[in-house]
Amino acid sequence: MSATETVTLTIDGVAVEVPKGTGLVEAALAAGIEIPVFCYEPRLGPAVGACRMCLCQIEPGPPKPQAACTLTAQDGMVVRTALTSAVAADAQNATLEFILVNHPLDCPVCDKGGECPLQDLTFRYGPGNTRMTFPKRTFEKPIPVSPLIALDRERCILCYRCTRFSEGVAEDGQLVAVDRGAGTMIATFGDEPYRAPFSGNVIELCPVGALTSTTYRFEARPWEILDVPTVCGMCPVGCNVNATTREGNVKRILSRNHPEVDDGWLCDKGRFSYAHLHAEDRVCDPILRVRRRGFEEVSWERALDEAERLLREANGRIVTALSGSETIEEAYALGKLLRRGLGAHTAFFPEESSDALDAFRVPLSAIRDADVVAVLGDAPVVERAPIVELWIKEARRRGARVLYELDEEAVRGAETAILVWCGPGGHGGATVAVLAQRLGLSGAFYIPETANGRGVCDAWSCSDDAESASPDPIGLLIVSGDEAAANPDVRALAEKAERVLVISMFQGLAAGWADLVLPGTSYLERDGTYINLEGRVQRLRRTVIPPVPDELAWISKLAERFDVELSPYPALVFEEVSAIAFGGIPFGEIGERSPLPAATGASAQIELGEADGPAVDGGLRLVRYRPLFSGPAVERVHELDFQRPQPEAELSEEDARSLGVRNGEEITIRSNGTSVRLRARLSRELRPGVVRVSDDFAGELKPAVEISK
Amino acid sequence: MSTYYEEVQEIKAQYPDGRSAALPALRLAQEKHGYLSPEALRECADALGTTPALCEAVASFYDMLHLAPTGRHIVEVCTNVSCALVGAQQVLESFEQELGIRAGETTDDGEVTLRPIECLGGCGWATVVSIDHHYRTHVKPADVPAIVQELRSGE
Amino acid sequence: MASEQRLIVMAGTDERDLTRLAEYEAIDGYSALQKARGMTPQAVIDDVIASELRGRGGAFFPTGRKWSFVPKPEQNPNPHYVVVNADESEPGSFKDNEIMSRVPHRFLEGCLIAAHAIESKNVFVYIRGEYTGPYEILLAALKELEGRPDLRGDVTIVLHRGAGAYICGEETALLESLEGKRGQPRTKPPFPAGQGLYASPTVVNNVETLATLPPIIEMGGAEYAKLGVPDSRGTRVVSISGHVERPGNYEIENGTSLRELIYDLGGGIPGGRDLKAVIPGGSSTVILKGDEIDVGYDFNSLLKLNTAMGSAGVVALDDRCCMVQLGIRISEFYEHESCGKCTPCREGTRWMTQILRRLESGEALQSELDLLLDVCDRINGKCLCPLGETAAVAVASYVEKFRGEFSAHVEQGGCPFGDASPLHDVLAPVAMGGHLPSAVPV
Ligand SMILES: Cc1cc2nc3c(=O)[nH]c(=O)nc-3n(C[C@H](O)[C@H](O)[C@H](O)COP(=O)(O)O)c2cc1C
Ligand code: SF4
Ligand code: FES
Repeated sequence: MSATETVTLTIDGVAVEVPKGTGLVEAALAAGIEIPVFCYEPRLGPAVGACRMCLCQIEPGPPKPQAACTLTAQDGMVVRTALTSAVAADAQNATLEFILVNHPLDCPVCDKGGECPLQDLTFRYGPGNTRMTFPKRTFEKPIPVSPLIALDRERCILCYRCTRFSEGVAEDGQLVAVDRGAGTMIATFGDEPYRAPFSGNVIELCPVGALTSTTYRFEARPWEILDVPTVCGMCPVGCNVNATTREGNVKRILSRNHPEVDDGWLCDKGRFSYAHLHAEDRVCDPILRVRRRGFEEVSWERALDEAERLLREANGRIVTALSGSETIEEAYALGKLLRRGLGAHTAFFPEESSDALDAFRVPLSAIRDADVVAVLGDAPVVERAPIVELWIKEARRRGARVLYELDEEAVRGAETAILVWCGPGGHGGATVAVLAQRLGLSGAFYIPETANGRGVCDAWSCSDDAESASPDPIGLLIVSGDEAAANPDVRALAEKAERVLVISMFQGLAAGWADLVLPGTSYLERDGTYINLEGRVQRLRRTVIPPVPDELAWISKLAERFDVELSPYPALVFEEVSAIAFGGIPFGEIGERSPLPAATGASAQIELGEADGPAVDGGLRLVRYRPLFSGPAVERVHELDFQRPQPEAELSEEDARSLGVRNGEEITIRSNGTSVRLRARLSRELRPGVVRVSDDFAGELKPAVEISK
Repeated sequence: MSTYYEEVQEIKAQYPDGRSAALPALRLAQEKHGYLSPEALRECADALGTTPALCEAVASFYDMLHLAPTGRHIVEVCTNVSCALVGAQQVLESFEQELGIRAGETTDDGEVTLRPIECLGGCGWATVVSIDHHYRTHVKPADVPAIVQELRSGE
Repeated sequence: MASEQRLIVMAGTDERDLTRLAEYEAIDGYSALQKARGMTPQAVIDDVIASELRGRGGAFFPTGRKWSFVPKPEQNPNPHYVVVNADESEPGSFKDNEIMSRVPHRFLEGCLIAAHAIESKNVFVYIRGEYTGPYEILLAALKELEGRPDLRGDVTIVLHRGAGAYICGEETALLESLEGKRGQPRTKPPFPAGQGLYASPTVVNNVETLATLPPIIEMGGAEYAKLGVPDSRGTRVVSISGHVERPGNYEIENGTSLRELIYDLGGGIPGGRDLKAVIPGGSSTVILKGDEIDVGYDFNSLLKLNTAMGSAGVVALDDRCCMVQLGIRISEFYEHESCGKCTPCREGTRWMTQILRRLESGEALQSELDLLLDVCDRINGKCLCPLGETAAVAVASYVEKFRGEFSAHVEQGGCPFGDASPLHDVLAPVAMGGHLPSAVPV
């Protein structure tokens, strides 16, 4: 391998050697020198040079100060920042003075106060007093950009980070700059909210307090808070996050940039769902069904006695329905208790899971650098694993071909081709691995529906190795977690079970059909590990103390009663699992930004499942999907209501053309005597022959549909 | 006659990237709807394959695109230096008097909007007045009543 | 130098209606194009380099050299574009208006020559939206050309109308606007030659620059370079306006004295008044005092006076004019036209206007004069594009050259000229707030 070419330059008298192509801001950082910036944010695309905060004296070049953020390091360059150049110092002071001309300086009542780059830079480089002799520009404030985001236009310094994100990263085109000159404002269209899956990122991007979170507004000052590094548990991506806590409550979720996983972006589901911790119907005490009298809250001591009784009475005829949101440790603990203690080996998993793709393991960031990205499976990626969609978009912007139909020639011809499977027919990745092997792909992903489905499945199988049987009738159905509790298939099983034990956070989900409800916890309240869709084992940290004992604590107590040895500490439980499944890596070594294990050798043989999707002749095939903003936690956060899907049907551009349907037109979708009327949205992210509708609007439609205007 | 949507598709075809059709498409939408109302912007966005917000972002940058209703006729008096030196302000005021409105306003009957405008690129033929985007040059205050008369009588 | 016109770009307009193809062909129109097509692209570039032609849009960059920066098709296989800057919006300039209106075919011929030189098949003419007249004339000329494949060849020319924004005359803002976006300038590098329209190799040239190409090719670059003075070869169409008897466009050989321009061609100051000041090259240039006009109208001579030909818009101001009022009106213009992308221009031009208004009303303190100069100084050299900088430099020059008059406003607590000055109380668009109803005016 050839060494990367480097260049050597001098910054404030310090010589540094950096790889060719390094930006000056980064080069200075390498020399331990800060070039202050506002608009510069490399994740938003090429530098725009708008704010002029980074002006430095640079040779060779014109005598006037230059925007360092727009330049890359060159051999022999001499850069002088405000530290050593009066010209640069004056320029930076000037920029700050201009920014402050219309800034309200309302730091005492500003959420950003204390963690505000404008405040910090003014302190370091700014003018000590104002020379203004006229009133500041004023705006109506704050304006709701959406139920989640408030905009204070007076504080805005027009760095255009938010609008560049909206247009150039999320590509939603919802948040824009309107008007021009000193009248320029950030705005959405008319009174419409910023409705897009990634809107919350603009809050973090804003370098001042102009875009703030409505759910964090006035909730805390930076010196009162504690950030806990953990991982989002809302989808299989597992974005790295910091949970900001104050006095034992989660106040907000921020990104904790893992460059291989999330590149510092979060979706709004991950960012705003934390309010479900305080859901009105949160179960805080165990609930027992008492004959004739209905339900009553009982003590934990009593609850464990009842649980023990239910377990014993079932006589091994137990089925455990898992959610895929349990930690590895929880799933293992449940497995160990039930399988070793009671011989109850049968589990109902929410979806298939396979290790076949480990042979094609690459980080998500590899999508960005691919020449061809094939997105197959027909379900919308953004609704299942939102961040993956951002990686795909970035790949396209960088010139990758993104295919929604398998074009084998294009895939084989590419230097790096990556496959992303999202939808039915992937068999937990097994079918995908067959494809990947056949096409010689550089990497492949299967997008599961649950956050830790793979981890839960692995942990369960580690916990014992006996074969599972299907008890009939089911003596006891254990429903582990809210996703399982909300799953209609699990409800159907419950109908057939003699007794039901539900572990749930929410009364609304558990009440009425369980004999015993044990309070559940959220991913934000647990210590443990998850495996994301890449196959990366990541650490969840307890960000706040839950109002109820966590699952591991009481499972281990229960285990004692069945003579099963089970530690209540996730670290110890993990080590047991790890010895079997993860090559013995200790809990403590997973780290805050966990690495991706190397790809394993290709599995000797991969069994091919059945062909994907039902064939449809003539008409179109309907793909219905579970929308991103749905599920037990999201439904309890009312600020997210407006993000629910629109009454729309997605059509490929080709189908739309042949049907004579235009973007935005109303269409009727019909199958087997039922029909729905929806607005058509043309999508280039859909192959011809497929129409996509969210579960919310698909009604009774069957897979074979016809469309008319 | 082709519809707005089709016209925009034709314009898009002139450019390697259809997004370049934004200004012509906005201009057409404005002609069709009188001004760039929310519906006009939505229609434009659908035809261009973009969002109404991005259409508004573009439209609001340019002086000739109107996001608020205007009169049927637009009278724009250049008040930049060259025109001002030979009496543009007096011409503007004559229009104000004759129309009975202040600059920036529209007559009650919705016929005429009057506004000052930056240099129209006719400095040597001052004062330049643009009436529905057609220039009148060498306009003097005394010419104003006749021009207003002409507008009012509809042509 | 003689105080008479020298018609090169406008040649033939004194006798014929050259808007018509037949008339233009009757004076050998489009023969330069045929001649150029007989040459290799490189030979055309070399001839233009030999002509020493420099851009007529304002920056005065050598045209041939600019073309030579464009990668050859084998170096960059993307389509190459010729983009015409017909956005003429600089206060004081109206030459491109007249060139397009009177010699549209010479201009189109120039476009086709440029396309041949940089091996481009696509020409986009970005014409300012307000120019309905010239647009219609060009459209008609283009129609005539469409019927003549022998002339047009395989090049397509698209007229693209702007929609009212001075900044779109700045070449990178123009490209953004042409791509259907808000017209905000891009940082340079990368330069348009390498990554311009749709990130492809692009040449941006002014209307007059292009209209000068046919005569250059016809007479040969070396012959053209005999006209004018060193560093400012050939002719220039100069717009003269303001307080002169005969305002209008005059094509002169570069180097003709400014005094001749104003007093001979322009016919002098009306009413026998004194010339107080001259804006020599459009609103963005440093002002000259009435006694500084014995200077050649060319790059080097004006540079000695710290100013420039810019877009060749000469504006004469007589002795009634108040320089503070001039400052207000110019500052208001730039405040209104600032694109709002970079901080110093967006905030600074507004600040300048505020101080100037206080000065005019007599509310300002003496110290605000220096504050004004300091604000200008803090804008200058810090902006993303030249708009903000030229605003600052131009207004600062009014203060520097007429400091006594500015001080008098403070000392007398008001304007010594009042409404005797024709620039008194002129209503500028910016004073009416933004053009969005929701923008809050101050
Ligand atoms: C604010 C600003 C406005 C400009 N306006 C125009 C214009 O209206 N017409 C023009 O030809 N050049 C204008 N220019 C200069 C262009 O950026 C560019 O230099 C020119 O189009 C290049 O053409 P040329 O080399 O043929 O002169 C402007 C520059 C700036 C900074
Ligand atoms: S100098 Fe003015 S016009 Fe130029 S980029 Fe900055 S704000 Fe825009
Ligand atoms: S950080 Fe360089 S201009 Fe904003």
